Amino acid sequence: MLDPTAGAIEAPVAQSIGRAGRRARGYWAESWERLYSDRIGFACGLLILLFGVLALAAPLLSAVVTHHDPVRQNLANTFALPGQFTFPLGSDELGRDTLTRLIYGARVSLLVAYLTVILALIIGGSVGMLAGYFGGWLDTVLMRVVDMVLSIPSIYLLILLTALAPRIGPVSLNPGNPYSLAVIIALVSWGSLARLVRADVLSVKERDFMLATRSLGASNWRLMSRHLLPNVLAVMVVAASLQVGAIIVTEAALDFIGLGITPPTASWGNMLSNSQVYFYHSLWLVILPGLAIFVTVLAMNVFGNTVRDAFDPRLREMR
Amino acid sequence: MSEHLLQVENLRTEFPTRDGVVGAVDGVSFYLDPGETLGIVGESGSGKSITVLSIMGLVQRPGRIAGGRVLYKGNDLVQFSQEQLQEVRGKDLAMIFQDPMTSLNPVYRSGWQVGEPLRLHRGLDRPRSLREAVSMFRKVGMPEPEQRVQSYPHELSGGMRQRAMIAMGLTTGPSVLIADEPTTALDVTIQAQILELLKKVNAEYNTATILITHNLGVVAGMCERVMVMYAGRVVEEGPTEDVFANPSHPYTWSLLRSLPRLDRDAKEPLRALPGLPPDLTDLPSGCHFHPRCPFRIDRCVDEYPPLAAVLPAQRAACWVTQAGVDLNRAGAIVG
Repeated sequence: MLDPTAGAIEAPVAQSIGRAGRRARGYWAESWERLYSDRIGFACGLLILLFGVLALAAPLLSAVVTHHDPVRQNLANTFALPGQFTFPLGSDELGRDTLTRLIYGARVSLLVAYLTVILALIIGGSVGMLAGYFGGWLDTVLMRVVDMVLSIPSIYLLILLTALAPRIGPVSLNPGNPYSLAVIIALVSWGSLARLVRADVLSVKERDFMLATRSLGASNWRLMSRHLLPNVLAVMVVAASLQVGAIIVTEAALDFIGLGITPPTASWGNMLSNSQVYFYHSLWLVILPGLAIFVTVLAMNVFGNTVRDAFDPRLREMR
Repeated sequence: MSEHLLQVENLRTEFPTRDGVVGAVDGVSFYLDPGETLGIVGESGSGKSITVLSIMGLVQRPGRIAGGRVLYKGNDLVQFSQEQLQEVRGKDLAMIFQDPMTSLNPVYRSGWQVGEPLRLHRGLDRPRSLREAVSMFRKVGMPEPEQRVQSYPHELSGGMRQRAMIAMGLTTGPSVLIADEPTTALDVTIQAQILELLKKVNAEYNTATILITHNLGVVAGMCERVMVMYAGRVVEEGPTEDVFANPSHPYTWSLLRSLPRLDRDAKEPLRALPGLPPDLTDLPSGCHFHPRCPFRIDRCVDEYPPLAAVLPAQRAACWVTQAGVDLNRAGAIVG
């Protein structure tokens, strides 16, 4: 006699994958674990975090710890040697405390760097997504613009933009303040991000799940924002973390040639520029901001590499 | 004219290539009634997938629908705007793809994805769509549905993923389910389970199903009607039983004959269909099948035969059978 229920679908015997009770872990959790397991890279990450906290706490630190104002001149104490109690890292030609100015300089450098990367991600990410997703003439137009941006040496473009202090609508971009400077650097440095994102979009959009999701009735906008973006986010995070260091150097270079942050506001770049005259006289005034830039950029780059390895092991072969 | 649920008329889908325009789907017509299962068989490149993608309006550029109509409940989907199509897709017409390994988004938990059509079409919020996903998972025989909605696709087996895909297709209660080789990427035991599931779904929800497959055994077991495609055209169409008993196109006949059979001498070599599928950019004159056809007559080289009734419920595009030749009997002579 046939079992009358034989036609009913029998669920396969319950078989869970992995250990019982283990919570499903996603891509981000696994990436975080890889990030955490790279000791040196993780330490660099912590160092960057520390610098960030110091920069944020600059007003507090100057009031409570160093007891100096970053711009207040003190002509009685010019060129104080490092190592004294009142001037732990010495003072400059106007008697301003170097440590206080370095901390305030970090504020500017880090603010400009992160803001620039975020802006560049928004511009480059959008352009790359639109070009890669829609293709056709839009792709051609957008990528030729990218080619143009990338074909002009960025330092010339930066000098041009900062020298002209362009007006965008009612907003005047005065490179003397960090927000405007970030916009100007971002306008020059989004090109490579756009290319990277576009390339990744081109490969992701051909994957079956994009067609499957489209067959569910998802709109182009939803496909891009909810289904495509999370899949290219890894590439964006990696590219961004590798770019932060480069932008700190760019910003310092602009300050150095006098086109960036205007004195007396302290930035690592204009501290360097300012102190070059005293190279033989007071070497620490040159070494300290230089060291600050060096250590930060090195840490950023090591951390960027770690992030890249953690988020996308396939990319390890690149560069 | 009687109202079918889905009626495709003279559909033509073209792809421009370096060697000229290719008609991947070339004048295909068929219908689908509520609750029935239609099988589409044919070799790779015969236009099966492009036919159903055209129905869904999912043909990717540079491909385009060059002509014909796709009537769903009397509305021509070919004339629909993208917005109108988005309304229909996933709500009235659902589709299951070949490879469940790559058809789910790797960055989202499976429950989120199964709930996506509900959020798109019914405006459900996340918690409610997740509850629906759990109950859908239970219906499609997913083990531990409460835990599995929290799983990422890579944590599910191939069979589970295909169940998830089916659950995703069915959440909105579509009236047509299109399954494009749903079992090709699965191993044999899982194939049987998934086919059983599709059968159950078809019976329980009265969902009309279009099943694309290479596997004639699957067609025999699942489909009431079958349509055979060759080089972008329908060459034979009819009730499955009739087509299998009385193949009326030499291509169908050759396909059926090439199957290994238990009642044949085990030492007999398998009979493969000689030749290769035609190059769509350079189709043979007349009937596209004539270079490979053992029954070829002169007329086949010159003129493409119309798809015409050869038996009461069965139509075939073949000059030979339209002249009254029984392929099973003639085949014994041709060898």
